[in-house]
Amino acid sequence: MSFTHLHVSTAFSAHYGVSWPDELAQAAASHGATALACTDRDGLYGTVKHLKACMDAGVDPIVGVDLAVFDDDGDHRTQVAGRVVILAHGHTGGAGYRALCRLVSDAHARTSGKAGGVVPVAVTRAELASRTLHPETLKPVLTVLIGPQSDVGLAMGGRKYLRPRTLFKRWIDAMPPKTLATEIVTHLTPPGEALSTAHAVRMLKLAEEFGVPAVLSNAVRYVAEDGAPTADVLDAARTLKSLPELSAAPLLQPNGQAWLKSPEDMNQLGKEIMASAGYGARELTTLMANTEALADACRMDPVKDMGWKQPVVPEASVIGISGDPLVELTQRCEAGIGRRFPGISGEAERRMRSRLEHELRIIGNLGFASYFLTVAEVSRMIIGMGVRSAARGSGASSLVNYLIDVSHVDPLRHDLIFERFLSRDRSTLPDIDIDVESAERHNVYRKIFERFGAERVTLMSMQNGYRARGAVRDAGLALGMDEHEIGDIAKQLWRFSARKFREALEEKPELREFAGRVEHSGVEENHQLDLLVDLTERLDRLPRHISMHPCGVILGDVTLLDRTPVQPSGLGLPMSQFDKHDMDPMGMLKLDVLGVRMQSSMAFAVKEVVRIHGSKAEVTAAGKHPIQQDGKGPDFISDEGLIDLDAIPLDDEPTYELIRSTHTLGCFQIESPGQRELVGKMAPREFNDLIIDISLFRPGPMKSDMVRPFLEHRHGFAPEIYPHPDLKPWLKETHGVTVFHEQILRTFDVMTGCGLARADEFRRALGDEVKERKVEEFFRQGAKEKNYSPEVVDKVWTTIKAFGSFGFCKAHGAAFAVPTYQSAWLKAHHPEAFLAGLWEHDPGMYPKRLLVAEARRMGIPILPLDINKSQAEYRVEKVESGPGRGKLGIRLSLNGIYGLSGSELKRIVTGQPYDSLADLRTRARVSKPNIKRLAQLGAFDSLHRGTGSASNRADLVQHLQQLQNKPVRKGPEPLEGQLALPIGDVELANLASELPAPGMVENVRAELDLMAVDVSQHLMESHRPLLDRLGVTTADKLLGLRNGTEVLVAGVRVATQTPPMRGGRRVVFISVDDGTGCVDSVFFHEAQEKTGPLLFGTRLLLIRGTTRRTGPRGISLSASMAWDLSRIETLPFAESSQAAEFQLPGPLDGIERNLAITGLGS
Amino acid sequence: MGVFSESVEVVCNQAGQPMRLRWNGQDYEVQGEPLRWYERRQWWAEERRAPLGSGAGLVDHEIWRVQVGLQGNDGRGVSRSGLTLDLVRHVGSGRWRLLRIHDALRSNSSEPRTA
Repeated sequence: MSFTHLHVSTAFSAHYGVSWPDELAQAAASHGATALACTDRDGLYGTVKHLKACMDAGVDPIVGVDLAVFDDDGDHRTQVAGRVVILAHGHTGGAGYRALCRLVSDAHARTSGKAGGVVPVAVTRAELASRTLHPETLKPVLTVLIGPQSDVGLAMGGRKYLRPRTLFKRWIDAMPPKTLATEIVTHLTPPGEALSTAHAVRMLKLAEEFGVPAVLSNAVRYVAEDGAPTADVLDAARTLKSLPELSAAPLLQPNGQAWLKSPEDMNQLGKEIMASAGYGARELTTLMANTEALADACRMDPVKDMGWKQPVVPEASVIGISGDPLVELTQRCEAGIGRRFPGISGEAERRMRSRLEHELRIIGNLGFASYFLTVAEVSRMIIGMGVRSAARGSGASSLVNYLIDVSHVDPLRHDLIFERFLSRDRSTLPDIDIDVESAERHNVYRKIFERFGAERVTLMSMQNGYRARGAVRDAGLALGMDEHEIGDIAKQLWRFSARKFREALEEKPELREFAGRVEHSGVEENHQLDLLVDLTERLDRLPRHISMHPCGVILGDVTLLDRTPVQPSGLGLPMSQFDKHDMDPMGMLKLDVLGVRMQSSMAFAVKEVVRIHGSKAEVTAAGKHPIQQDGKGPDFISDEGLIDLDAIPLDDEPTYELIRSTHTLGCFQIESPGQRELVGKMAPREFNDLIIDISLFRPGPMKSDMVRPFLEHRHGFAPEIYPHPDLKPWLKETHGVTVFHEQILRTFDVMTGCGLARADEFRRALGDEVKERKVEEFFRQGAKEKNYSPEVVDKVWTTIKAFGSFGFCKAHGAAFAVPTYQSAWLKAHHPEAFLAGLWEHDPGMYPKRLLVAEARRMGIPILPLDINKSQAEYRVEKVESGPGRGKLGIRLSLNGIYGLSGSELKRIVTGQPYDSLADLRTRARVSKPNIKRLAQLGAFDSLHRGTGSASNRADLVQHLQQLQNKPVRKGPEPLEGQLALPIGDVELANLASELPAPGMVENVRAELDLMAVDVSQHLMESHRPLLDRLGVTTADKLLGLRNGTEVLVAGVRVATQTPPMRGGRRVVFISVDDGTGCVDSVFFHEAQEKTGPLLFGTRLLLIRGTTRRTGPRGISLSASMAWDLSRIETLPFAESSQAAEFQLPGPLDGIERNLAITGLGS
Repeated sequence: MGVFSESVEVVCNQAGQPMRLRWNGQDYEVQGEPLRWYERRQWWAEERRAPLGSGAGLVDHEIWRVQVGLQGNDGRGVSRSGLTLDLVRHVGSGRWRLLRIHDALRSNSSEPRTA
């Protein structure tokens, strides 16, 4: 007995389906099924995974969708009347799948792509009808199933017989012949209810009356009974209602019968329906035969119907070539040689040419020339837009990419291997990633759509699955628990998968309190907590929604939208329903155009340098750049003062000095606590050191302890060891330690002569138990044949086995090192412009306030908000008066003030300068609350002082508050063209002086509250007396202490990390900023136990620990205990009575913002 | 309609349909075709745990509506009176309980209970 399920939602039906495609396909196959459908709700989200799962399980895939249909009687924009299932016919040369894709896109075309849009995902019946036939042959290519969720099925309730009949007849009238079937479902609910056998019978009789074939289905949501409670929780998450509420409505699934039932079960259901209908075996046979006949019509040929694994690239004509793409590519490379290698000759030229021929031969064999030309076209387009860009990833391994300006790294110079990127043994399209300025990313996307045509381009999407925090929130919602309580629990969940919640309860100190509550059974609340843990685990990883992928753009030919359904993204541009895992299977060319904030920051800095200095001579002087023999500045600065960052020399000593100082906050890739420690230990001297540094600071090398031996050899503490002299040329740069993928490839090649392409295949096999054994066999045999001694072979294999699957691709490292170097260069030479760029684009891992503190530490004046001087962006400004006179400072931006709208901001800047508050109100039309906020931030201080009034900021804020409370009274509007008299600000001048001026703590609190940045003073400054009393050591003093000194440090949290560790025990790194710098502390197991909920829950920390010297310029802290600095009574005073003196509120008191201030979200 | 939850011993045929049951010290025989459906449970209020892999029976339970008659001492069925019962079978444990006795018929059936 066999039965084909034609209506199945996978987990990719977000907040609806429970089971993964492979679970479903495996179960179907074990039931003896020969085919299985995937009909996700609203889209083909799980379709490609379904194809793969079916192929793996040996069953034929059937693809379809479960869609809402607009109510023909209702408002076509918002009202839907039930859902239907649409199945694509197979073996139609793709016509069925094509129609399905287009139909799904139709269903999304009117939606906004934004959360909370009012237009539902749905099709009109007319759209549905128009897609069901082949446009040329007019044969049916889709079948629409009218089932229990359709308007017909939903009208079955009560005793209305006429209504469902009328509705059914409408379907028959509206749809072309032979495109309809009825879907008969019984979930064995109580007699007479929805999904009961009685309803199934009525549907069956309706079908019979109108001669429409009936098929049996189980409207599956989960693979087995166990999925039913998960489906309940998903219903709650989808509707944002608790289970008790849903149950009362009633809106939950009526029972838990929607699983992938076996053929025997389905046959039994069929029997029950027939018995209830008064029919017999003949009718049952017809029902089952109809089901299998429809299944047969819908069996898909993955290759012929859906283009499985057949790469499709844009037509040659679109990229402007008419001849052979390979010839064109060869010519462009030839043209690039003059640009990239001016004057190359002799041996160097011979090497370069032979490499080029080698690459072109492989590209030609694979037929990927038009792919390279496409990428080159995109790259050229981006450069043409004047946007900073850089190729990243293994694409940097290709000389072709370098010659056609896709990448900016010379692969010959850094020994990068083409086979790591592409070889004759790989048939999938390689990844080329392009980094662009983040602020320009959307413009680049739009330009790509424009350039290639909207029919050939779509954005890629990504699936967002449940992680621990989201899962616990939605599980709590389902149980109807208090939102705040759930929020408190969610806050403590820190980077573990929801699936391991119960395990985490036993292990993690920060969850100890919660675990205790779960354990204490008997009370109503605790009963819920136990369920909460179980339900959270159930939700783990289930897809929640799709969103625009941060960088993927899909490029295809004119048939692209026949091969993927699209829906609007939040950006407005269409987005494919397929994610990155679907690209290779569907033969889609994906380009990663990643917005990198650092690129925007650097572009901003370069523009500020030009704006403030304006000439080559001035920039040269300001940046202390070397003067050349002609008495002028360097070539990388234009006459106007524009710095070409891509042309700066890579051997600039002040840049390396800055890096070695470990004051690298804000620099790309090397600002994290761990990296600051590593650059301190390693002390980079040249560009290759940066490549190595970046490659070492990866989970793999850190985990497998590559770093320590490398540093020992580098500093000469231990002699370098090479397993064999033959390997020395390749391992020399890393002092004998294998760090790069490229070195693994070389090792294989040198010792076995296998060639680099096979070597890369071997490298990929490492870490896979079965494949790795074969690689070992081959390696040992090959090396033996080349006469390497068994000892050498053993030793090398141990290294390969240990490091091979962890190492880093040098091409990645090289591509990363470029912006690392450039950002450090800017920080060394133009720190004001660089920091302004960082504040503006916020590229790093830290809260912005730390980079403001960094400016303060570097002695760069931070210029306050000023209604006439502040712009919509941060600006470098020459300080005209005061302590910093003559220096360059950074003026705060009006952007990012809480409450101030974009249009108010625009009006303020357009109308500058203002001579009075009245002037500001009239011309910039700033709301009263925002005027008050600006006053709190001191934006009117200059205006105010100018009037000579004795009143202060507090008086002004009070005055504005009173105005805000008064009802609006319309005064006479000034006439157009009438100028206000230049009488200054009467309002400010006449302000009574009543209140004491606000103290520093209040000002800083206002800044933190409204801008999340402490501007006037570091927020720790006001805690100084307390810290002095406690005997706290400041960050700048730590370096002077001996290793192993016990100290107390204190500060505001700026970073919290739990990197993967060797040995598996969790280590927590917490960095705090005390105004003199960062203190990086590490909490090992015991310290975590002692610190408990404070680990992730506090903003201000007092930490006790011992110093660990990490290098000549680096010191960190091994923590033993921590306190919450805002809970004075808990702090370790010498005498407890001392606590009373310090019960004053600090700047952070009463401020809820956590993420923006500490970088730790809640 | 009374709502009960008393334990009942039920004997089923091979297809899983109840044939006979023993309740309150009396043996009953199922008459006619029983009706079976699955009804939702308020599992979030009734259960302490719902871990992954806990299997069937959390979200719904199996209900059988049966008409029964008292069985004579000789073990042969007698159809002195029809009694309609809703039985619930716990899918996980397979245990049966009596859920409801339908009022309309219950008055007819008071005799055998007191007999």
